[in-house]
Amino acid sequence: MRPILLAGHERSLNQIKFNRDGDLLFSVAKDKIVCAWWSANGERLGTYAGHLGAIWTVDVSPNTVLLATGSADNSVRLWNVKTGECVKVWEFPTAVKRVEFSPDGSKVLAVTEKRMGFLGTIAVLDINYDGDFTNQAEEPSLRITCTDSKATVAGWSYMGKYIIAGHEDGSVSQYDGKTGEQLENVQAHEFDHQINDLQFSPDRTHFLTASKDKSAKLMSARNLAILKTYVADTPLNSAAITPKKDYVILGGGQAAMDVTTTSARQGKFEARFYHKVFEDEIGRVKGHFGPLNTIHVHPAGTAYASGGEDGYVRVHHFDKPYFDFMYEVEREQLRR
Amino acid sequence: MSRPAKADWADDEEFDDPSALPAQQITTNKDGTKTVISYRFNDEGKKVKVTRRIKTTVVREHVNPQVAERKTWDKFGLEKGHAAGPSFDTTSVGENIVFRPSVNWKAQAAEAEKNGGEKGSIKDQLKDKKVKCRICSGEHFTARCPFKDTMAPVDEGGAAAGEGGAGGEEDAAGGLGAGGGSYVPPHLRKGAAGGGERMAGKYEKDDLATLRVTNVSELAEEQELRDLFERFGRVTRVFLARDRETQRAKGFAFISFADRSDAARACDKMDGFGYRHLILRVEFAKRAT
Repeated sequence: MRPILLAGHERSLNQIKFNRDGDLLFSVAKDKIVCAWWSANGERLGTYAGHLGAIWTVDVSPNTVLLATGSADNSVRLWNVKTGECVKVWEFPTAVKRVEFSPDGSKVLAVTEKRMGFLGTIAVLDINYDGDFTNQAEEPSLRITCTDSKATVAGWSYMGKYIIAGHEDGSVSQYDGKTGEQLENVQAHEFDHQINDLQFSPDRTHFLTASKDKSAKLMSARNLAILKTYVADTPLNSAAITPKKDYVILGGGQAAMDVTTTSARQGKFEARFYHKVFEDEIGRVKGHFGPLNTIHVHPAGTAYASGGEDGYVRVHHFDKPYFDFMYEVEREQLRR
Repeated sequence: MSRPAKADWADDEEFDDPSALPAQQITTNKDGTKTVISYRFNDEGKKVKVTRRIKTTVVREHVNPQVAERKTWDKFGLEKGHAAGPSFDTTSVGENIVFRPSVNWKAQAAEAEKNGGEKGSIKDQLKDKKVKCRICSGEHFTARCPFKDTMAPVDEGGAAAGEGGAGGEEDAAGGLGAGGGSYVPPHLRKGAAGGGERMAGKYEKDDLATLRVTNVSELAEEQELRDLFERFGRVTRVFLARDRETQRAKGFAFISFADRSDAARACDKMDGFGYRHLILRVEFAKRAT
């Protein structure tokens, strides 16, 4: 497969996201612009300018009408995907590390940083799709405060029933999506190893966490049971579940600050593919010159994109061997 | 109403013009292709007939209407006003990555690593190796060097010197070469067989069976020439001069035969042969002086 290299950012990537149809790809980096790309050919559709700080996170509404971004300038911005206009700014006391639309697109959660005496929070904002989208509620409809350890990542479970959050101390907690009450908290990863990414399966019944403790865990959204563990040899920044084939893709590498002292070989700047069920590593894809900060898989499972510390986004459209690979038992089952 | 409806005076004028071009003809062939014959004037003012065969293929793709709608969106932000299609400053295509998932990929990767590091197949080894001419350091085989007949290989001097030393009669010259650090003119050095003779030495003999072919088409290929001339006997070498930048043929070529009689026959038969819209001129290569 020939990756498409997208060089729209001047600094390291923070998050990339395909839209639900997979035709668009959004990327945010430490520079202050958001880029929208056509995933098929890597053409840039446009940029969204307005943020005043590094942009940590991006998400697009399920109908690809609105785009939410969270930035180090302490704001969440809502953009009109088609025109690139900013339609709403929500100010927060601290930086916003993660935004995510609920599965029905009616809400956005925003994870705010713990800093300057403010505790880390998860705020839920209601989204209004009427008119020109500028008429949005000013105040969050729900605010969850993380008193123990700040949340670093969060997402919505199936039908928005729960909010699942990963914490700085390596624990994963489950909140009620409507009341914000904490239902469960599991120390999924090693203590004090931050969870860097949390991505859901397409049906949102289970999710994958990537942690600094060099492992990724597949967990059930319902009861936070750890279903599978994927062990890597490097701190992980991102992990994604692939639809269509039962794989997971993990990305990570030497911490950015140590990169200059290690060669690209030792840096382990590769996307690692594991079999989702058998937990075996089945291959790696090289390419980045720095750690992989973010990975996202095309919703149809035909491609994946990775964004690295090197400022590049690489879009890989899978070719035949990827789809053909099967374990002997799988083949056996198919024959029957 | 005998007059045809469309009898415009302007059209009549056109038909009277002797320089007018015949109308374009489109015929549909049996296999579904179309043949379009049109006429135009070329740069020299001559009438040229252009025949094109066109095959139309319809590729039908079903996409989500929302996705199709998005395809029509205009670019915005930094891309505002840019033409459709990826721009080169933001989008490029990386090198091909072979990705084959496998249970024991680690073992395979280690093996590939080992093979790559030590030997691997000869082909793989030579894959990224540049061909370098020993005579002129160009990017072709030594045997195909255009200066082959006029120059000796750069590192051949030493080897030739060894041979010269073995033969007793050239000892004096050899002594000069090997002796003190004083300058020895090229014609006195070892390997320079005799006064005045050129250094090419053994590279000269195939001059006898080498043909110079001129008026070769720009689009000629070495293999084609080889095929053309191989009919007359074993061809030892085909050299087609190419432009360094464009890689197009320069219009002449050298063909060496193993046997001089074959070369003579080829010279006889191929002189005036029509190849690729041009008429070849074949003669025995003259020795460059």
